[in-house]
Amino acid sequence: MTEAISFYLIQFIILASALAVVLVPNPIYSAISLAVSMTGIAALFFSLEAYFIAGVQLVVYAGAVMVLFVMVVMLFDLKKEKRAFSRGTLSRVLKTTLSVLIFSMIAGALSMSFSELGSGDSIAKEDITRSIKELSALLYTKYVFAFEALAILLVMVIVGAIALAKAKGGTHAK
Amino acid sequence: MDRMEIFINTVKIVVIFLMMIQVVPLLVWVERRGSAFIQHRFGPNRVGPLGLLQLLADAVKFINKEEFVPAASNRVLFYLAPILALLPGMLAVLAIPFSTPFGIPSFEFMGSSYGPYTLQVQGAEIPLGIIYIFGVSSLAAYPVLLAGWASSNKYSLMGGLRASAQTISYELGLGMSVVGVMMLYGTFHLNDMIAAQEGLLAFRFFGNEINLPFLPNWGIFFQPIGFILFFVCIFAESNRLPFDLPEAEAELVAGFHTEYSGFKMLMFYIGEYGHMIVGSALVVIFYFGGYHIPYVSEAGLTSFVSQYFTGEYLVPFLVSFIYLHVFILKLALFLWIFVWVRWSLPRFRYDQLMSLGWKTLLPWSIFNMILTTVFIYAANAA
Repeated sequence: MTEAISFYLIQFIILASALAVVLVPNPIYSAISLAVSMTGIAALFFSLEAYFIAGVQLVVYAGAVMVLFVMVVMLFDLKKEKRAFSRGTLSRVLKTTLSVLIFSMIAGALSMSFSELGSGDSIAKEDITRSIKELSALLYTKYVFAFEALAILLVMVIVGAIALAKAKGGTHAK
Repeated sequence: MDRMEIFINTVKIVVIFLMMIQVVPLLVWVERRGSAFIQHRFGPNRVGPLGLLQLLADAVKFINKEEFVPAASNRVLFYLAPILALLPGMLAVLAIPFSTPFGIPSFEFMGSSYGPYTLQVQGAEIPLGIIYIFGVSSLAAYPVLLAGWASSNKYSLMGGLRASAQTISYELGLGMSVVGVMMLYGTFHLNDMIAAQEGLLAFRFFGNEINLPFLPNWGIFFQPIGFILFFVCIFAESNRLPFDLPEAEAELVAGFHTEYSGFKMLMFYIGEYGHMIVGSALVVIFYFGGYHIPYVSEAGLTSFVSQYFTGEYLVPFLVSFIYLHVFILKLALFLWIFVWVRWSLPRFRYDQLMSLGWKTLLPWSIFNMILTTVFIYAANAA
């Protein structure tokens, strides 16, 4: 009973804020709604007793990534870009096509995931430290290639960002 | 979970929240008297004994101040920011274990019987306490950022931007410095960490048991570097001197809360003190044995109490009561160190904080992690 109430409440918050991200014209509001929706997803993980993922979701996405987003959006005066982006036939066609494509992708992924959804061997909920140990062991054995590839990708992004900032002079441009 | 349990938990959450709120005026008093003591002044000493009634006068002043909203501000976010400022500290305090659990015997109430219960002296026993607290505390950048932007004041905006850049630069060091503690105790559970620090200093080194019975078994003796790093980081986390750049009054008037007055500003204060309380509590739990008394084990304390009192439920309750006060004593000590540092150290320059976070705290915390790994290996090697 209490789980159902909390689930539907969190669900409503996530969906409403996720919709607000795309529907609200003000970029600051939409960035904040994205942060709210991230926090809601963390709460959902929490109610599923996936505490580790919930915490990581909060620290990494809601805490660090979205703070940067909000900060960057606050630095710009986005009125002109907003107008340029939301007018015109071409952009309208592009937007509609893209949203249809993304929606069908999500629908396809959902319909395919149902068949794979078994009863599952859930890791013992009572021993969470052990489950985190198993997770990290998997990361460093079975999925080590994907893990290292992700690390390289992140380093590439950092180097690329620094190179771009350096090329234009960064904060010390003349 | 029956109705009584839900009721008890709700009451507990409210009590812990009020406890956090009620500590704030006392801390403000300690801050003002402490600063006066450090700077060889008198401080507030006119209203009531030792100036203690100054707190009441302040509260009345905060409530009765004119409510002011800048005309060009974003009203929704301007009102939302102080409310959000309360949340992270409040949610994080809920996960702090203040004392050992005690039992409540079964009882009759309104015609139906309830119990027996085990009452945790803690808002909720969360299995991954550390990660929960860090996750919730990482949201603390939003209120500052929103307040800075919504005020539509350049000083406020600068304060807000500084806050978010500060968050990014110290948070990595903060998270990494605690990894050593988690590896050492092999758990994320705050209660288990405290339990691991009971008794006298003893560890294994290449298969040999080494006992140092003149020291308590506290985390600080295993993680001295981690302690220093963590302690520096929580000063940045709570936006206090020497890292109070978001509100640096010499440069930014009052930073992100320049446009706030009255009760809304008080809410920012409560948020800041809430961070101080959570940070000090974490230091106590990670490095100073939590609620344990040095040189006294829990069994020893129980037998001491049962010399004078008897009762299946009374003795654990009294033990829990004593431990609660030990915890609060340790907490108060670290809160005092917060005040002490604030009035002793000058403010860092902005680029100094950034380079401290990225070039000093982060490499040292990684070094601490590697050192802990070697230590654990040496302890378990035969």
